[in-house]
Amino acid sequence: MNLLSLGVLRKRGSFVKGFKSGVYDKQETRAAFLFIMPALLLLVVFIFYPMTRALLISLENYNLISGSSSPAGLDNYKQLMSDGVFWASLGHSFYFAAVVIPLQTMIALGLALLVRRTFRGVGIFRTVYFLPVVVSFAIASTIFKLIYNKDYGMLNVILKGLGLPVADFLSNPDIAMIGIIILCIWKAMGFFMIVFLAGLNNIPDSLYEAAHVDGAGPVQQFIRVTLPLLKRTTAFVVIITTMDALKIFVPVYITTSGGPAQSTSTIVHYIYETAFKQMNMGYASAAAFILFGIVLLISVVQLRIFRTDVEY
Amino acid sequence: MDKRHTGLFVLRMVMMTVIALLVIFPVYWMIMSSFRTQEEIFKYSKLGWELFFPVQPTLDNYKAIFTDPSKPFGRYMANTLFVAVVVTAAGLLVNSLAAFAFAKLRFPFKKVLLVVFLSSLVIPYEVIMIPQYLLIGELGWMNMYKALIVPQIVWVFGIFMLIQFFTDIPRDILEAGRMDGAGWMRIYYKIVLPAAVPALITLGLMTFLNQWDSFLWPLVVINEEKKQVVQVAISSFQSLRNISWGKVLAATTISSVPILGIFLILQKYYVQGITMSGVKG
Repeated sequence: MNLLSLGVLRKRGSFVKGFKSGVYDKQETRAAFLFIMPALLLLVVFIFYPMTRALLISLENYNLISGSSSPAGLDNYKQLMSDGVFWASLGHSFYFAAVVIPLQTMIALGLALLVRRTFRGVGIFRTVYFLPVVVSFAIASTIFKLIYNKDYGMLNVILKGLGLPVADFLSNPDIAMIGIIILCIWKAMGFFMIVFLAGLNNIPDSLYEAAHVDGAGPVQQFIRVTLPLLKRTTAFVVIITTMDALKIFVPVYITTSGGPAQSTSTIVHYIYETAFKQMNMGYASAAAFILFGIVLLISVVQLRIFRTDVEY
Repeated sequence: MDKRHTGLFVLRMVMMTVIALLVIFPVYWMIMSSFRTQEEIFKYSKLGWELFFPVQPTLDNYKAIFTDPSKPFGRYMANTLFVAVVVTAAGLLVNSLAAFAFAKLRFPFKKVLLVVFLSSLVIPYEVIMIPQYLLIGELGWMNMYKALIVPQIVWVFGIFMLIQFFTDIPRDILEAGRMDGAGWMRIYYKIVLPAAVPALITLGLMTFLNQWDSFLWPLVVINEEKKQVVQVAISSFQSLRNISWGKVLAATTISSVPILGIFLILQKYYVQGITMSGVKG
């Protein structure tokens, strides 16, 4: 009865919402807030507060070495606009992303198609292809660094043995990034293979049977059935890969430290160096915000593209 | 099966095997070389069987990394294990409580709070890293394990994943518990948690792996040698001059092979996590 009268009272304010909110159980509400509180507190202290503060710091001249901070307005941003090293590092990140996104997506889809059918032993192949995902980035980078070594590395020993020209992935600025790209694709392709595999399993067999009856060969089935129905999965893979690729850091830090001749210094490596080597927090925060803006913009554009594609 | 199909199948198997060998090679090479002497690693620079198998297998590299007092590798492993276990346990508790409230309880401002939680997913780590670092300094947590633990506990991806899982638990069961006079806390750990064990294993595994692999944050907030985590310690192994490849590879092997083992045993849950949430760990 109590609840009902509450509901009636609330009706004055807003008809629909009022009645619903009138039926909240007091104990249940208290329990809910109690349950959410720890997570919310941690979220506010370690994510939302730092986010706000990052914006404020980016508007300051904040150097930890000199311990000074003074308001700078938009100076950091203006200075970044004419900072060649910043733009170069952004360029390296985009180059990395532009190669990795299509290549890795195609390889992952290819692997998923290979291990899709169930036959004896297919589980072993899936496990093997997925294994590098479980190897940490730091360790993967370390292994590849040694394998790439110009004089003693396995790669060049094998290339030499086969009579091929040696590839010097770590000290030749022209190809250093390619070495990092190979390492990253090796590490991540298994993850996206699993995502594609889940997408492929969602396509009903009846569609393939229908296509088969209509006389479509394997290639046509792939183009007419598989690809269109994988659009959502592909969207997910491309968007996540883009975000990851633009933020690549650990392999760069470990294999080349941004060298040779700054040729592999990505944007996050630049932010790291500025913040934690030069201790220039304001400038680094401004760079991080520009990166944030770019990533957000690209994600929104990608979502739009994929959405309109699905609708038509 | 006609000839063409068998032919295709064989071709496909060959292709898959070649790819598998290429994929597994770096891991195999790491493990194999960690059993080689320093001399042997650099000795064979021509193609031949010696290149792919240790000629005189030795455990010296492992002995060396565990007995070097300036680089206490056992300590690094213990540090990392401690941090990863605490973050996983605390994270499972905090995130599952929040997820339970969002999935099953009725309370005012639920939608608003959920949007607040989800909006944090847009914030890239690179942006908040600097103020987080300053905050850790102000709290006086530099070089302390809590700097590695506390900021990592809440994981909105995890909450989101668990919400999807908890939604399937019928509200009637919870109401029945209420009728029996149980409080919500009791319902949470008597009814909800047992029903969600597979999801909790998935989330726990992902959290643990993320923590075990964590690199950038410990690199920044831990400067004291003996408190470092294993991933950063390994990367500092090789920045030293006169590095021993054998030692580096023994270190990478011993810090990744147990993880690969855990994965092989629990891979069902890990893969389920990827496909269930459609979200990256």
